[in-house]
Amino acid sequence: MSDVTKGRISPDVAASRVAAGLAARRSKEKRFQLYGKIAIGIALAFLVTLFVSIFSKGIPGFFQHYVTLEVTLDRAKLDPAGDLSVQSLYDGDARGVIRKALYEATGASGRSGRKAAGKIISGGAEQRLREAVLNDPSILDTTQSMTFAVDDDVDSFLRGFIKRETPEKDRRINDRMIGYIDTLTEQGLISFQFSDYLIFGSASRNAEMAGIFGALIGSILTLAVCLVLSFPMGVATAVYLEEFAPKNRVTELIEININNLAAVPSVVFGILGLAIFIGIFGMPRSIPLIGGVVLALMTLPTIIISSRAAIRAVPPSIRDAALGVGASRMQTMLHHVVPLAMPGMLTGTIIGMAQALGETAPLLMIGMVAFIVDVPGSVTDPGTVLPVQIFMWADFAERMFVLKTSAAIMVLLAFLILMNAAAIIIRKKLERRW
Amino acid sequence: MNSADQSHNFATAGLPAETVGDVHVDHPRMTARNVDVFYGDKQAIDNVTLDIGEKQVISFIGPSGCGKSTFLRCLNRMNDTIDICRITGEIALDGQNIYDPKIDVVPLRARVGMVFQKPNPFPKSIFDNVAYGPRIHGIATSKDELNDIVESSLERAGLWNEVKDRLHQPGTGLSGGQQQRLCIARAIAVSPEVILMDEPCSALDPIATAKIEELIAELSSEYTIVIVTHSMQQAARVSQRTAYFHLGKLVEVGNTDQIFTNPQHEMTNNYITGRFG
Ligand SMILES: Nc1ncnc2c1ncn2[C@@H]1O[C@H](COP(=O)(O)OP(=O)(O)OP(=O)(O)O)[C@@H](O)[C@H]1O
Ligand SMILES: [Mg+2]
Repeated sequence: MSDVTKGRISPDVAASRVAAGLAARRSKEKRFQLYGKIAIGIALAFLVTLFVSIFSKGIPGFFQHYVTLEVTLDRAKLDPAGDLSVQSLYDGDARGVIRKALYEATGASGRSGRKAAGKIISGGAEQRLREAVLNDPSILDTTQSMTFAVDDDVDSFLRGFIKRETPEKDRRINDRMIGYIDTLTEQGLISFQFSDYLIFGSASRNAEMAGIFGALIGSILTLAVCLVLSFPMGVATAVYLEEFAPKNRVTELIEININNLAAVPSVVFGILGLAIFIGIFGMPRSIPLIGGVVLALMTLPTIIISSRAAIRAVPPSIRDAALGVGASRMQTMLHHVVPLAMPGMLTGTIIGMAQALGETAPLLMIGMVAFIVDVPGSVTDPGTVLPVQIFMWADFAERMFVLKTSAAIMVLLAFLILMNAAAIIIRKKLERRW
Repeated sequence: MNSADQSHNFATAGLPAETVGDVHVDHPRMTARNVDVFYGDKQAIDNVTLDIGEKQVISFIGPSGCGKSTFLRCLNRMNDTIDICRITGEIALDGQNIYDPKIDVVPLRARVGMVFQKPNPFPKSIFDNVAYGPRIHGIATSKDELNDIVESSLERAGLWNEVKDRLHQPGTGLSGGQQQRLCIARAIAVSPEVILMDEPCSALDPIATAKIEELIAELSSEYTIVIVTHSMQQAARVSQRTAYFHLGKLVEVGNTDQIFTNPQHEMTNNYITGRFG
């Protein structure tokens, strides 16, 4: 009993020692908080810079210049066969009809004058006209005021990227065209509007006609395939590994590999897809089906890991309760553990999907980078996806493509933010207390 | 195991070679013979033989870590969920060995229900909590019958009057004592023969405890009940027989009156007089 006093420190001494250390402790705490604030500040600054740069370039990308013309829709010219068939409309001279309206508005005459005026309007104008006629044949043989996109060089000029002062031989728009554009502007026929081409158009070599619709549909189809494959598989794997798998060498190996898989660069999955699906199974390139499968392989580890964490977070008392009334292991899982783990599983899945949505490299490997004008109608139609579209546009030098690239990035970002927000909402909504 | 400080506490007393008192009863519902339980290499139960009498309440008492819960969980094979747990010996329900490989644990656990130390209602409605067992076992043949089962179970658990107006609100929204009674209702809803209770009142205040004790007394006319408790008074109040465990051994078993008034073994005596434990 003699050494009982050895480790005992009297309350007074203890209090004085605590007080002595207190100042140091406080300043340490302050310093630590300061570091934290600085770190957050830097991160926020980067974020703001990023957003400002994307928004400042991207928002103008959502708009482009249009010209409004009084078009006389001469049926004999537009619909030579007179049956309003697509073939007949294509045989007709929509181009001539538009040009005529354009010459009238600009007052262009002579061979070179007409040539210059013709360059003002987008090549997509004829298609616009044909669609309008198909939609409402009653406009034939009347005069309609119609709006067409201007050529992308004209758009750049109107935005001020091409300067009037530049010597004529150095700019892509000659003096004649500038004259005509001025005429149109004076008449108030030029307008700066929301770009319907961007949202509803597909891949195009003409910057003013290029849009993200095809890529967006491609992205949705690819993600759908990815989700359908990876979610049930990921959840089933997680449930099996957590609850049923015996703990032995084999399952340990599987576990290690799943964790490693999460760290494999995504392009490797693309090579895998290329080698197996296209190389061995001989499936066509560029289709959302293969893209989805490849992305599913990539997302699986994310889903499995987060699902396992979610399952592990379900309190064992719930399992005991279910087993205690005689539920089988399967019932315990399906009735109690999985529903309780679902918010975590869904969060992981959505985050995995968001990753997949932004993925480019593996899709380049399986050829989803092809120039495809048609909007994919099913998972086996060739298509591309949003990030790949952005990647392709970023390669073009035209000013308009630069703007549209930024606009497309904004759309992609919006989807990513939407998905992450959905993950948060689901987590908050479904989360239950026990 | 914290055997060091425990053996230090009662250096004078030694574990008996054989259980003191009569381990047998006239009408056993469950019988345990020479049961050993190991967690990995560590032995948690050492050669326990014990009968559990029909429509009797038997309480397990003993110092912390002596294996009461372990032994209790053997009685409905809840220990199966622990990978490292290994059991030898024989435990029988109505003469049938429950560790027979041919036995399915699902009906076994329906016959031997369990109430846990911490109330653990499912995060579902009060109704669904009670209806869960009957549903998965297909006990109710119609919706009306299910409603009746739920009502009578809650009634017998003494909870009906408190919850009848909010059957469809979450069971987790009840107070601790109500939750525990809900868990009891859930256990009796499948009409078990034996109910195992592991310290059912340890998280409850005296009033809730009294309610549960009353409930146990009532249930004992229909059910065989095994209760683990740290409260000597509780054991004395609710049980007809008492078993005293120490360091994995069943030291002494006997009628509750006799155990508390006239314990045969010195360790039992030390424990109930509060000299250790
Ligand atoms: N899952 C487990 N894994 C390993 N050892 C365990 C496990 N559960 C219990 N044990 C050990 O078995 C012994 C008996 O534990 P048990 O839980 O049965 O004690 P108890 O009598 O119920 O104690 P208490 O009164 O504190 O609840 C203890 O030494 C404990 O450490
Ligand atoms: Mg215990």
